[in-house]
Amino acid sequence: MSVDRLDQIKESPLFWPVRLSRNAVIILDETSLPAKTVYIKAKDVKEAVKAIRQMKTRAFGQFLVVLNTFLLELDKAGSKYKQSEQLLSLLEDIAEKIENSRPTFPFKEVTSMCLGWGMQAIKQDEDFVEFVSMRILGYMEAIRQRRLDRVRRIADVIEDGDKVLTHCNVSGELAMAAWLCSQQGKLVHYFATETRPYMQGAKLTCWELKKMGADVTLVADNAIGSLMADGLVNKVIVGSDRSCANGDFANKIGTYQIAVLAKEFSIPFYALIQPSNRIPSGNDIPVEIRPADELLRFGGRKIVRGNVDAFYPAFDVVPRKYLTGGSIEIEVG
Amino acid sequence: MSSSTINNKDDIDNKGSVIIHGFFEDEFFVRLKKQQIEKVFVLEARPTLKSLKHACRHLLKLGIRPVIISDNMAGFLFFKHMVKEVWLSYQDRDGEEAVCLVGGLILSVLAKRHHVPVFLSYASSKSGQFADEKEIFNFNGIRVAPRGIRGYVPLLEAVPLRYVTNVV
Repeated sequence: MSVDRLDQIKESPLFWPVRLSRNAVIILDETSLPAKTVYIKAKDVKEAVKAIRQMKTRAFGQFLVVLNTFLLELDKAGSKYKQSEQLLSLLEDIAEKIENSRPTFPFKEVTSMCLGWGMQAIKQDEDFVEFVSMRILGYMEAIRQRRLDRVRRIADVIEDGDKVLTHCNVSGELAMAAWLCSQQGKLVHYFATETRPYMQGAKLTCWELKKMGADVTLVADNAIGSLMADGLVNKVIVGSDRSCANGDFANKIGTYQIAVLAKEFSIPFYALIQPSNRIPSGNDIPVEIRPADELLRFGGRKIVRGNVDAFYPAFDVVPRKYLTGGSIEIEVG
Repeated sequence: MSSSTINNKDDIDNKGSVIIHGFFEDEFFVRLKKQQIEKVFVLEARPTLKSLKHACRHLLKLGIRPVIISDNMAGFLFFKHMVKEVWLSYQDRDGEEAVCLVGGLILSVLAKRHHVPVFLSYASSKSGQFADEKEIFNFNGIRVAPRGIRGYVPLLEAVPLRYVTNVV
């Protein structure tokens, strides 16, 4: 089947996992997948921040939570506050709460944009709520189209017969590209690392690739060396959570060692990047260290007995020299 | 308990730490105790975590508190210059390569990239080459994978001796 228009691309549930309803931000709870498809209702910024901190959503889902939380709070506040300065102050308060939720994700890039619209509304003497809300909605639609376009470009990188390794979850885009490849008649196999400790690869990536009809095999994080050395993969495609001006990027823990091994075994390594000039290089990215207990316990039980410790860096920084395949970029500004 | 942050510019002061991976004999742990090591990082070793549990039992008995990392975190430790040496157990070798637990190759390539020595220690306990795919569908008794997909679960892999500093 020929897919000529972006809106013809079959959509994965993880591509756009957050939406706004009348009184709440509706968030797909990724921690419940694949066993159950559950949506959380965040009725205010406090509940939205909690969902982010608890990793109920991550990566692009967090981005949507931020934007939709601004819309939600603006809608509620519109009837309460009459002065634009009061509304701007409200947005600043929301921004601060969101920026403190998780350190590695670039929330400030999103919140400062929304605050900028607020200041513009005041300067131009516009209806504050309408002006800012319309700009947020317009921005989200533009991002949606750019992501759909990037899905097409990911599919262009994947060739007939490829055996693609991926890590963590790319928020729908790889699964949609997999669907597009199948429509194009390409036979492709996907290997997904399970991605401890939260198992996004097992729970999310395998789930959505299967939903989109792709051929997928789950592997442990420690199997990537064997896969590459034995010629079982010939391409790597991963996402990125944060990008730097010099091309370095941060992504889920485990990405760096995949990049190093891909270079060692001469396997093209691609990353989906959202270019940003805010951070000069990978040396400047703050890396979140999560509580040891999140590694030591799973399903409510300890994984090993005894008085052991654990260390859980949540992200890796990957220097740009390891982008041996290249980056597949999307403009977000 | 909340998260914390490290700026990627800062090297964490754990330069005297080692990573161990595999089934080691009793004498190995005794020798490890005699060295001045800041931390002993132990890989989870999916799917079964058997070598992790084996190592933790021995280390705790000797009064060493192991620090567990998941199998995808070793790269971070090397990137932050936290590792002074790597120890792998092997169950067989010839002139060109040694058969180690899966994950050994990742550690060896990272160690080569970061100029960290890799030592091999013989393991008398033997592992099969592959596990049933069901082993990767579950973790700690909980199903994590959707139904209807495949799993590929190597338990061993060949580590070329060109990555190895010494066989002890």
